[in-house]
Amino acid sequence: MLSYIVKRLLYGLAVLVLVVVLVSSIIYLAPVDPARLTFGQRSDTASLDAKRDALGLNQALHLQLAAYLNDLSPLSVHEPTAANQKKYEYLRLFGIGQKVLVLKTPYLRESFQSGRKVSDMLWEAIPLTAILAISAILLASMIGISLGVVASLHQNSWFDNAAVFLSVLGFSLPSYVAAMLLALFFGYYLNAYTGLEVQGSLIVLDDLGDEKIVWKNLMLPCLALGIRPVAIITQLTRSAMLDVLSQDFIRTAKAKGLSRYKVVVKHALRNALNPVVTAISAWFASLLAGAIFVENVLNYQGLGKLTVTALLNFDIPLILGSVLFIACVFVVINILVDIVYAWLDPRVKLA
Amino acid sequence: MSLKIMEKKKLLSIENLETIFSTEEGIVKAVDQISFAVHEGETIGIVGESGSGKSVTALSIMRLVATPPGEIKGGSIHFNKTASESVDLLQLPEPALRKLRGNDIAMIFQEPMTSLNPVFKCGDQVVEAIALHQKCSYQIAKEKTLQLFSKVELPDPARIFNAYPHQISGGQKQRVMIAMALSCNPKVLIADEPTTALDVTVQKSILALMNTLKKELGAAVIFITHDLGVIGELADRVIVMYKGKIVEQGTVLDIFKRPQHPYTKSLLACRPPLDFHLSRLPIATDFMEVAHQADGSIVIKEKERSLTETLSTLKVSKAERAERLAKLQLEKPILEVKKLSAWFPKRKNFFGKTTEYLKAVDEVSFDVYPGETLGLVGESGCGKTTLGRTILRLTPAQAGQVIFEGKDVLKLSDQGLKAMRKDIQIIFQDPYSSLNPRMTIGNAILEPMKVHGIWDHDKMRKEKVEELLETVNLEAKHFNRYPHEFSGGQRQRICIARALALQPKFIICDESVSALDVSVQAQVLNLLIELRESFNLSYIFISHDLSVVKFMSDRMVVMNKGVIEEMGPADEIYNHPQRPYTQKLIDAIPKGRLADIEARFA
Repeated sequence: MLSYIVKRLLYGLAVLVLVVVLVSSIIYLAPVDPARLTFGQRSDTASLDAKRDALGLNQALHLQLAAYLNDLSPLSVHEPTAANQKKYEYLRLFGIGQKVLVLKTPYLRESFQSGRKVSDMLWEAIPLTAILAISAILLASMIGISLGVVASLHQNSWFDNAAVFLSVLGFSLPSYVAAMLLALFFGYYLNAYTGLEVQGSLIVLDDLGDEKIVWKNLMLPCLALGIRPVAIITQLTRSAMLDVLSQDFIRTAKAKGLSRYKVVVKHALRNALNPVVTAISAWFASLLAGAIFVENVLNYQGLGKLTVTALLNFDIPLILGSVLFIACVFVVINILVDIVYAWLDPRVKLA
Repeated sequence: MSLKIMEKKKLLSIENLETIFSTEEGIVKAVDQISFAVHEGETIGIVGESGSGKSVTALSIMRLVATPPGEIKGGSIHFNKTASESVDLLQLPEPALRKLRGNDIAMIFQEPMTSLNPVFKCGDQVVEAIALHQKCSYQIAKEKTLQLFSKVELPDPARIFNAYPHQISGGQKQRVMIAMALSCNPKVLIADEPTTALDVTVQKSILALMNTLKKELGAAVIFITHDLGVIGELADRVIVMYKGKIVEQGTVLDIFKRPQHPYTKSLLACRPPLDFHLSRLPIATDFMEVAHQADGSIVIKEKERSLTETLSTLKVSKAERAERLAKLQLEKPILEVKKLSAWFPKRKNFFGKTTEYLKAVDEVSFDVYPGETLGLVGESGCGKTTLGRTILRLTPAQAGQVIFEGKDVLKLSDQGLKAMRKDIQIIFQDPYSSLNPRMTIGNAILEPMKVHGIWDHDKMRKEKVEELLETVNLEAKHFNRYPHEFSGGQRQRICIARALALQPKFIICDESVSALDVSVQAQVLNLLIELRESFNLSYIFISHDLSVVKFMSDRMVVMNKGVIEEMGPADEIYNHPQRPYTQKLIDAIPKGRLADIEARFA
């Protein structure tokens, strides 16, 4: 088990390095001058050159890449200057010639656009997205699994047919369309009854400039994000349950004299959950990566909104930072899913 | 004996039970107006081929028939719970019925592999039943379960308690099922083909266990099987079912001594005999003719032939057997296997390098002569299936040689391998999963012809396929049907036709009849023998059942733990086994001998 996790984490690390190399190659090869973007319209050659120098844009691509990876690595080599100490907040381990080997938290550099630390910006957006993703996936799992179980128990009934039809419909509805429709109905037409805003983030500034949490602003993005997962989870639960309910061990459970509820929930559902867990985790990972469309349509200040803004501004450190975070999420969730698998189905061996 | 039973109290009385299934072809009466009674402490054997309605009868008693497509249409099943209290199980509301299920009436199923829930520990599945009906705490239920586990002779009950079903063997799983069924001291125990999916040696031990428990607990047992040999080992009374009806019932001695119905006679005769040799096995059509009426009912016409008469016409003398064997060995072997090994990785280190091997086949050598059948017998896990697959290069060999017609199969190029696969075919164990459900059987047989470019065009191939279908006793018009429209025995014939499509010289039959009823098994074995004679085929015949191997083979190889225990002429090995392992396989065969049954009641 432990050796399995270590192995998977090592693979994950390789994936992350590959992500950095690929993404930065694409970004740096693009015919865009980030230095110019930081200045906007008014700029002179001298200050542009100075800026390029400061950002390290004049160096060869592989050197820029090496420098970035060195900044990223928790174990890294730097010149022991006061400026570096302040920048990286490192813990000095020992000297190597002129330089020192240090221990630090990964340094994601500063945003070209705002000059703030990328890690700070990410840490502001991630909790908002995490709350949104968790609530959407919880809602979708609860509704989807219940619908799927009930539909499978009444196969070919009107309820079953309706559930299948609605889930096909729900799956074909793009989330940004759902977001707009929901905002239009509940935020605009029915505003008087629901009290919901067309757009809004979880944390807003009030009139006095203080931050406050507005929970109701979570509702529309959560619904908009949840529709497609509900559809998929319903479908998967239904077909997995139909499969399991015809198995011999269900007959054994009935022959024991167990109640219908116990047969269905304890014996059947537990066996049917495997494909459902895969679907849920995949959706959860992509929701955590930022619900790009929904967050933009509904102006929710999460990771998705941040990433799109970074892309529009060509804010390279911010793009790299958020892409790296997304990659991390996928690596970690995949490992977690395998562990959950082994827990759900003892026949699965981790190796 | 029968008188003694009659004096005992009736536990179950089943009157005019009728269970139907709605299928695409219309309504099928799976159980058609049957009546019988079960008395306290007796063991009733229900015997019949698949589709005879015996399992549906059992499921109807428990009201576990899958609805739809099944439905219990009529009749009554009275259960005398106590001396004064009697209920009709068919009228009982669901909650009251649930209190009886698993408590007063318990059931053991055919497939131990799939009848336990894979995601719960074996122990907890038994605890669940105890806690449910006896309303006791987990600790007490666990104590009881551990006691039950030692009662059903499971090794190391504490370990099995914490094991998941996939971690224990098939026989052990069936013991867990038995423990579960016995957990609440049921008055009636229904065992639906509890040993059919198991090796004969495991079957033997399970039957012995059931015999002991039966005496100890005094529960009535309804034992369902397709094999009269098994019935002979433990039943007091026998019910013979055919096409949903009871055709004969009586004490086990009466049935074995004086079978009345021609179907019963055929069931008695179809098991491969042990003390003599037959040229082919008697089957149902030797004893009766079945005519279908216009209204779907059937009329059975008995042929004027006694059991002993039929057997004597088919007997083959020892001298004839010896002569055949000597003649076969005059020629050069068609297949020589020399020191063949096939190993599987058992343990790997962190970097994926194998550190320990499971030696499934270890330095095995033997020859097969043209026209010969070499039997390969052993328990599951002895390496016999791996050996068959390694010869065909379906599993890689670790070392050794397989020389077929002078060429080493293991060193063949891809091209040579393809040519070799035309000459050596394999028929697998499970006729249900070895046919593609989305391919018509005609195309399934035609496909290998196309792959190997036999015959010039598809029209000619189709004619050949139709010929083949008739060779295996199916009809040419079946060409466009799909596998699900056929029974298990018919499917195995389709697999045989597919193997024959390439006009092979050599066929490996890997447990090809193990999934079939004994009556169907007899038909398929007869067919294989016929084909051997008419196409001059050589077989390797693999099975766990020594009686079947003895009937089919000229020579026999007994395999155990990847190595050959002994090898020699089939009759010689049966009559004079040299190894205790061989003796164990022989003892395990359910013989159904009259003398044994008489001894049981003496």
